[in-house]
Amino acid sequence: MAKSIGIFVTSPLHMRHVMGVTKAAVAKGAKVKVFFTWFATHLAKCKDFPELCAMEGVDVSICVDSYKKSGYDITDIPEGLIDTKMATQAQHGAIIEDYDCYLTL
Amino acid sequence: MSAKVFFLLPSREYTLDGIRSALGLAVENMYAYGCVMYNDMTDLATNEKDMKEYHMENVEWLRDMEGDCFTIPECNAENFGLTQTNLEEVGQKLRDAEYIIPYGILRADKN
Amino acid sequence: MKILHVMRSAEPADDVKKLIDIVSEGRDNETFNLDVEAPDYDKMIDMVYDADQTICWW
Repeated sequence: MAKSIGIFVTSPLHMRHVMGVTKAAVAKGAKVKVFFTWFATHLAKCKDFPELCAMEGVDVSICVDSYKKSGYDITDIPEGLIDTKMATQAQHGAIIEDYDCYLTL
Repeated sequence: MSAKVFFLLPSREYTLDGIRSALGLAVENMYAYGCVMYNDMTDLATNEKDMKEYHMENVEWLRDMEGDCFTIPECNAENFGLTQTNLEEVGQKLRDAEYIIPYGILRADKN
Repeated sequence: MKILHVMRSAEPADDVKKLIDIVSEGRDNETFNLDVEAPDYDKMIDMVYDADQTICWW
């Protein structure tokens, strides 16, 4: 039976793994939540980011405070996201509380 | 039952945010711990006031919520009151953690 | 307890190796190397499902 997977993204180096792991999990019917924090919020500007946000069963959010501190205007919402997904570290807490499996990338 | 979460903080530019992130879990009623592995924290904040009034307050809040912030470099225990530890002890603490978070990046020069 | 060690670097630093050794001692461990050109993500997900804890090292 498919499990749910939460991915806490703290490194700006591994977008290919975020995409690869998420696609593979979705293909197995998993519910996936991905939360980007600190300099990993740069990945919200990566060309693959809108595709990640559009995947079925995938909940994507970013730390808005990190996004701002990484140099972006918080009104510049990354393509694929909506403003309510510009969120706080509580999203990380939700991954730990509500998802079966936990990954850090 | 509340989860026990341990952040490993090896990189200069990620350390203070890793502590903030640990605090974010502590306020969600988790036992959150961090460990500064290599850096002298004196070099991390943009200014001394910011370090004292914001970042060290985060460490105090972490402790108030039954978490802690450890350090392997002695200077951070001496200068900022972080709890001294060593790599062996960190490994033992990790064995008790349900979630282990190697935070950010690990550069070849370990800073 | 089964631990899955996901390696983001095929050649981890000595300190990382030491932490892995301590965490692994007396436990059932598996390793998945992400640091290859085309990781088998499908296999990795199966291993994540099968593990009690996954640690993604640098």
